[in-house]
Amino acid sequence: MTLRGRQLAQLAGFALLAAAWVYAITRLLHTTVPSNLHLPDLKAEDYFTPRQLERARDFERFVRIDYVLSQVALLAALVGYALRGERLTRESAAGRVGTGLLLGMLGLGVVWFAQLPFGVANLWWERRHNISHQGYVSYVIDSFFGLGGTFLSVCLVIAIVMGFAGLLRNKWWIPGVPAIVGVGVLVAFITPFLIPSLHRLHDPQLRADARQLQRAEGLPKIPVEVQDVHEFTTAPNAESVGVGPTRRVILWDTLIRRNRFTRDQIRVVLAHEFGHQKHQHIWKGLAWTAVFLLPIAFLVALATRGRGGLYDPRAVPLALLVFVVLQLATSPLQNSVSSRMESEADWTALNATRDPVAAMRLFQRLSTTSLTDPDPPGWWQALVGTHPSIMDRIEMAKGWPGR
Amino acid sequence: MDSQHPVWLTCDEGLERSRLTVFFRLLLALPHIVWFAFWTLAVLFVLIFNWFATLFTAKPPPFAHRFLTAYARYSTHLAAYVSLTGDKFPDFVGRPGSYAIDLHLPEEPQVQNRWKTGFRAILALPAWMLDAAFVGGSRSGYSNSGGVLWTNAFLAWFACLATGRMPEGLRDLNLYALRYSGQTHAYTLLITDRYPDADPFVAPVPEQAPHHPVRLPTGEDDLSRSRLTVFFRILLVIPHLVWLTLWGIAAFFVVLVGWFITLFTAQLPEGFHNFLTRYVRYGTHVGAYLLVAGGPFPGFAGAPGSYPIDVDVDPRARQNRWKTGFRLVLAVPAAAVSGAVGTAAFLAAIFSWWVALITGRMPRNLRQSILFSLRYSAQLNSYALLLTDRYPFASPAPPAASAAPPAVSPAVPVAE
Repeated sequence: MTLRGRQLAQLAGFALLAAAWVYAITRLLHTTVPSNLHLPDLKAEDYFTPRQLERARDFERFVRIDYVLSQVALLAALVGYALRGERLTRESAAGRVGTGLLLGMLGLGVVWFAQLPFGVANLWWERRHNISHQGYVSYVIDSFFGLGGTFLSVCLVIAIVMGFAGLLRNKWWIPGVPAIVGVGVLVAFITPFLIPSLHRLHDPQLRADARQLQRAEGLPKIPVEVQDVHEFTTAPNAESVGVGPTRRVILWDTLIRRNRFTRDQIRVVLAHEFGHQKHQHIWKGLAWTAVFLLPIAFLVALATRGRGGLYDPRAVPLALLVFVVLQLATSPLQNSVSSRMESEADWTALNATRDPVAAMRLFQRLSTTSLTDPDPPGWWQALVGTHPSIMDRIEMAKGWPGR
Repeated sequence: MDSQHPVWLTCDEGLERSRLTVFFRLLLALPHIVWFAFWTLAVLFVLIFNWFATLFTAKPPPFAHRFLTAYARYSTHLAAYVSLTGDKFPDFVGRPGSYAIDLHLPEEPQVQNRWKTGFRAILALPAWMLDAAFVGGSRSGYSNSGGVLWTNAFLAWFACLATGRMPEGLRDLNLYALRYSGQTHAYTLLITDRYPDADPFVAPVPEQAPHHPVRLPTGEDDLSRSRLTVFFRILLVIPHLVWLTLWGIAAFFVVLVGWFITLFTAQLPEGFHNFLTRYVRYGTHVGAYLLVAGGPFPGFAGAPGSYPIDVDVDPRARQNRWKTGFRLVLAVPAAAVSGAVGTAAFLAAIFSWWVALITGRMPRNLRQSILFSLRYSAQLNSYALLLTDRYPFASPAPPAASAAPPAVSPAVPVAE
């Protein structure tokens, strides 16, 4: 093939990939929430007392400052590591890929060091507001050993990337992204088995509710389990995990202990989590990961070319920096995607329970127990808002009867 | 260390043992044990007095020094006798030169650093813990195994009864344990302010052991360590542990098939031998990295020469079928010794981790101690995995690379 022919083939391949990418986005953006829904413009002051609002905003003010500073420290640490990290290659006798693994793990270690003070400060703040009960030493030790799992994940990713870079040099990202997403599928499959302190849901009424809601949403039987977290936190939460035969819904015991939430409110939570299962949000999340990862990986490959690309382990520190910067830069987009799926789960829950009052009460209670600002500033919501704001969720519940 | 330790051990005892005294050894030692208990009580009072005196005058009073040195010497004689390291019945007063395995201590009181005296009980904690791993017998210590000395004594009791000889490797290992214990006693009792030396390659352990098919040649190591990799060492090694486990599963099946083949043909197939050799080498690389004895991050292939702490395994050779048939049972005593030595190495690694984190350097003597443990473990693994039918040799002395006769034990201690 001539040079021009090869360039044309590359261009065609690139255009095909871009078209597939755009098509995937349009397909993934589909939601069952009606597009013509007219939601009322509500004021937080009508749903929360001035004291509740002041307490939540006071709490979040510190959290925001701590978060911003931690991100600055993260970037500073990674810039330093990108500049000087390659010197650590002398600490390895492990060959090309092994040295890459070492540098990847050490990079995360540096990040851990940089973020530890902010994590401790956040814990101090949560303890002060009675949201967390975890001790400082326990927090540091847990977060240190928690790094072990992160180290393993980053090793797997770097091994894939550097393995493909050995074969394809700077085009590693083409097979690399599907391979990494494949690992993501595997992780999603086994996640339910990695969550500690799980047990069956014992409450017969809630179990009956769960079965009824599953039927209402047209789902097969999906196990509902409870995770004991009350030793560490008072914040309520629930999640949908697993894919295929391992999928299940997990309720934190802080949600069902001591009658903090009414049965109707817990039904809304269950219906919301079943909504995630109904709309295959975990699979969609993995697909979105691929969508975001493709350009990010391409840009990482481009940025590290000057250091020999990811074939060379010395490029790993720079790759980490570029990856984190791009992740941060795209976080508003990623969060809006996540919020869209959460809205769809809320909508499904409203349809299944047909109880917007319980939903509104739940969102109010979630805000007051977790000290979440019900109507946060837009920049904050864009940066960290994986869920719609509490007021957005209340508005949806309020607007549901007029659907 | 830059000069000879003021406390050292000598051994003029052969390997012959009287079966009669070996059989009744514990009972014969009873009068000594009772006497030792009384002496220990008296020592407690003298030690308190000695501590104050040394703190104020920087030197122990002569009578306390004499009393405590005799006690330290006597406890070594007694431990040597009970552990079968020595054969003769010791005297009751710990006279210098009265026993074939003797602890040499400063004859006159030495000037000591007052800070080291003041904080002696705290400073001695790591040495006590390591001493407990070497000669400790209590369940309150880190190990429940009874320590290196008593594990060896238990095994040696059967060997001595059967053969009338103390196994040379176990004897050498006991000498190492007794020397370290004697130095720890001397440090604790304020006889010297020099810290115990954990280096196993020091007299009375011979300079070289007989040839063994599995050896641990060690490359250059300037002992400097990156604090960052030391801090995260336990996490950095996780991918290796995962890989080692997966490799171990494959090795298990290879050994299973290899066992049958070796039983019939008296030789492990070449491919099996190479595969398992790499596995043993890789395990040693990972162990060395985890225990901070190795500086760089090891590779994942167990390639020869790829790591500063390496394993040399001789080419495959014919193996005794009986030894092959009962290999797992035969490996049990060596596994017990390896467990005891490994406990000491683990403690040495914990102390090394702290030192390396603070100073950026690995303590040389602790590294040597860990290397010895790694070598013994590699020999045990090679034996269990059918790479050789030569039993692991417990002596800390490094084995000769060729089958030439080993050097004679030096009579004087070797300075580090």
